[in-house]
Amino acid sequence: MTGKERIYAVLQGKETDKTPWVPFAGVHSGKLKGYSAKEVSQSADKLFESLLEVNRLYKPDGQPVMFDLQIEAEIMGCDLVWAEDAPPTVSSHPLAETPEIPDHIPGPEEGRLAMEIDVMQRMKAAVGDQSALYGLMCGPFTLASHLRGTNIFMDMILDPDYVHRLLSYTTDVAIRLSEYFIDAGMDVIAAVDPLISQISPDHFSEFMHAPFSRLFDAIRARGAYSSFFVCGNATMNIEPMCKTGPDSLSVDENVSLADAKKVTDSYDVVIGGNIPLTSVMLFGNQQDNMKSTVDLIDSVTPGRLIIAPGCDMPYDIPVENTIAIEQAVHETDSVRDMVKNYESAGLEFTGELPDYAHLERPLIEVFTLDSATCAACTYMLATALDAKEHFGDAIDVIEYKYTSPENIARCGAMGVKQLPSIYINGELTYSSLIPSRDELAAQISKYL
Amino acid sequence: MAVDLKALSEFLQKGRAKEVTELVQQALDEGMSAKVILHDGLMDGMNIIGVKFKNNEVFVPEVLIAARAMNMGTAILKPFLAEAGEVATGKVILGTVKGDLHDIGKNLVGMMMEGKGLEVIDLGTDVSADRYVEEAIKHEANIIACSALLTTTMTQMKAVVEKAEAAGIRDKVKIMIGGAPVTDSYCASIGADYYTADASSAAQTAVEICSA
Repeated sequence: MTGKERIYAVLQGKETDKTPWVPFAGVHSGKLKGYSAKEVSQSADKLFESLLEVNRLYKPDGQPVMFDLQIEAEIMGCDLVWAEDAPPTVSSHPLAETPEIPDHIPGPEEGRLAMEIDVMQRMKAAVGDQSALYGLMCGPFTLASHLRGTNIFMDMILDPDYVHRLLSYTTDVAIRLSEYFIDAGMDVIAAVDPLISQISPDHFSEFMHAPFSRLFDAIRARGAYSSFFVCGNATMNIEPMCKTGPDSLSVDENVSLADAKKVTDSYDVVIGGNIPLTSVMLFGNQQDNMKSTVDLIDSVTPGRLIIAPGCDMPYDIPVENTIAIEQAVHETDSVRDMVKNYESAGLEFTGELPDYAHLERPLIEVFTLDSATCAACTYMLATALDAKEHFGDAIDVIEYKYTSPENIARCGAMGVKQLPSIYINGELTYSSLIPSRDELAAQISKYL
Repeated sequence: MAVDLKALSEFLQKGRAKEVTELVQQALDEGMSAKVILHDGLMDGMNIIGVKFKNNEVFVPEVLIAARAMNMGTAILKPFLAEAGEVATGKVILGTVKGDLHDIGKNLVGMMMEGKGLEVIDLGTDVSADRYVEEAIKHEANIIACSALLTTTMTQMKAVVEKAEAAGIRDKVKIMIGGAPVTDSYCASIGADYYTADASSAAQTAVEICSA
């Protein structure tokens, strides 16, 4: 199956050969090509180039084009504050002091929508046969909060009629955007509405049910699939969200995927989620990411499942971590075996470590999970073997795979914290990050 | 008939500002002490809202509307509290860190802390590490409380800890941190004192710090 076939199949309630995987690489895509968050948020060429790299490295079944909830708001008069390593933030709310409801619907040429639609078309032509493409819009409630500010929460109690009217308007905007995105070739239209987690199920039913139902009906009528993304602890709202009729839901790590899936299964809605963004993807190592992903898959009932990060990926997530997740999603059984070894800590090393102080020639030791199956390990070992070819008999290169108890114990004795790692003469030189061939050669030369 | 403080607490929980202000005024007119009205009526209601918020029984709109009623009630009590020499149990410097404009969570924390009788000096959003420390010195604060929603801005919390150390106030002020991406282990790794997961726990922890 192609990735696109996998996403279509899961959304149609059919079986897939592998679990579908949708990495939410928004501004993080820029990191892969050395562009800042601001650059990929403003330049179609840089964004397109970065998205192709996401497609190549992370092997997504489905891929968003932009994960930026400020595009509509910017057109509608909100000021933005830009960052080099995060999407922009809304800093002013044009409706904060007025009960007026605007009537202007952004056109496809306005603001950054023009660029977004352009890149959607280019992505469709480049990878649209293989990968399902996601068009993301700011959900009607979060868009209303961008316009109104946090007053919107008190309005729900003090002036419900106003909130109904404002949401009706922001839903009109969302529906029009979904039309632009579908026409640009998007397969799945996602309404991203993080603030949904901040209201009660009763308020959801009162204010959100009708607008979101209208939005998802409109997307379906135009022949695309829909998704409802939420962030935060939305546990109480999973069922009301299902009742609005999206084809899929996506939740972050504040929601138990297993519990939520029981609800979504009963509504025949596909659920996506929810690899922890910070503790695992940003700050964890590859093993953590593999383990977390395998555990997540093992925690839920099969089918109607998409594995994805909890939300938009932080800019600085190590590339290797995302590669590790992709592998754990698509090759779950072999990664489950690797992870088992990762857990068997506490083995005593009975062999002998080399006498690092008195080596005849530089010794390059490569510690890997298993270079045959772990993608990043393969790259790490390949770099070391390149060096071996370059230096020939002047150096020794040896790989220790984390697949035998003896090697696991050796890692313990050496104090290896991250895999893959390269040690030169017993000293940790590269941990998790793969050096370029020249970089490694320069390091080795210091020991010659 | 004497004012029923339980009824006052319940009106506050429902955010019924009109009834709250009427009952507060009536209780004062009947000679009840401002301190008792504050603690057994208003704060009681806000504490219950805090616990319900923590337990996912009420959400942001309900907390904001209750806090609004609380503020209107305490505004009436303020002159009487001052007269009676009632002082705050501690001072907290509060803000979202540099580069972060997301303040819903920070505002909830501020309201909950005020609801527990703490004086909150709210520096707003996008607060530099220097500013937290300057204000903490100026106000002789017990606590600096930093909030961040973004993984990219949470790293600013470390700068706050370092600035507090450099200014020599680290032994006088506790540093609390919170926000969606923040965790206990992050708190430990940057040398901050407390991480709390929600506004209600933050206020509870702050009270414990100040009464220790």
